[in-house]
Amino acid sequence: MSCPHVAESIADHFDEFLSPATQQKHQQHLADCRECRSEIDALNALPKMLGAWQTQSVPDWDRRAIMRPHAVRKTLPHRHSHWSSVARWVPLAASLVLAIAVVTQTRVEVTDSGWSLSFGGSAQDSGNEQLDSYLAIYAAAQQADTREWVENALRAHGETTADSVYQWMTWMEQQREQDVRRMEAGFQQMLDRDFQTVDTVRQLASYVMYQESP
Amino acid sequence: MDQTDNQLIDATLSGSVSAWETLVRRHETRVYNIGLRLMHNPDDAMDLTQEVFLGVYRNLYRFRGDSQFSTWLFRIVHNKAIDMIRRRQSGPDMETGFDELPEPADSHDGPQEQYLESEFNERIAKFLSRLPPAQRVIVELKVFQSLTFDEIAPLQNIPVNTAKTRFYTALKNLKGMMEVHA
Repeated sequence: MSCPHVAESIADHFDEFLSPATQQKHQQHLADCRECRSEIDALNALPKMLGAWQTQSVPDWDRRAIMRPHAVRKTLPHRHSHWSSVARWVPLAASLVLAIAVVTQTRVEVTDSGWSLSFGGSAQDSGNEQLDSYLAIYAAAQQADTREWVENALRAHGETTADSVYQWMTWMEQQREQDVRRMEAGFQQMLDRDFQTVDTVRQLASYVMYQESP
Repeated sequence: MDQTDNQLIDATLSGSVSAWETLVRRHETRVYNIGLRLMHNPDDAMDLTQEVFLGVYRNLYRFRGDSQFSTWLFRIVHNKAIDMIRRRQSGPDMETGFDELPEPADSHDGPQEQYLESEFNERIAKFLSRLPPAQRVIVELKVFQSLTFDEIAPLQNIPVNTAKTRFYTALKNLKGMMEVHA
């Protein structure tokens, strides 16, 4: 019969910092359990063999380079810049606009004569591809707008260098990546919890239209 | 007399480039070797090393000296390594989960497949690379970093018994691989 404590026995055997009470319990179990003794015999040499790893030296690299981008980044929060505090709210504001557009069933139509904005209207069965297309266009537009906005902001603020623009953009991109990861995690949770909820969200999202005339 | 880590950190925060370089040189070998064992690739190990020290530098002002610098550093190494393994996994073999055993690599690897300086290290890293990442990390923490299971569990955000089971399973997997290649 298989011992249900074999994993614990093996782990305890290789734990050098067991409390005296746990050590005694472990030894007592080993004395009574042939399977655990056998497993320990079989695996005993492994950690020692792995531990014979020969430490390898690090190839030369530019350790000082790390300090350069950080110096710029570190100064940003201490500038008390109006722009930096505003920038933190850009993603939230964009999300809010998108949410309002979903709730009000906003539709944007682009034609040769210009574009038109309408609210409400009947739902169309646009499907996942349309939603994906919309989100991709939205993301690209947001990225371009954000980049242009930050560059203008820094230019107007007058304390910038090309390096600090780059560093700030890197920081912004990291924030955006975090947002995307959070959004993906949220969608995954919804998928796991209730497929119908996702279906409803899809229908809602399909109300937001972005159509380009041929 | 050698400066302590805390003295080097203070000097770094005051802008001393040489203090920072000394601090990095003191700890980079440990980080790099963790990378080699977890990634089985010198380039990835170097990426990990650079990411870790970038993270350290960015957050250095948060280090208050309540714990040893090496402990604080190791937590950053651990988190960055997990992130990097997950990122690497989301590439070609995305279907292999964090807890699953990956497909074994070709056992007839030629000389060009040898990444590491010593043949012994190469073999160990290769065996470790065939473990599921979750088991690989447990082996790293237990065997190479000598942490207790009570320390591993919160670091990995798993129950102690899960950590023990993963360690046992990892040893059994390694044993099986070594028998096949004996």
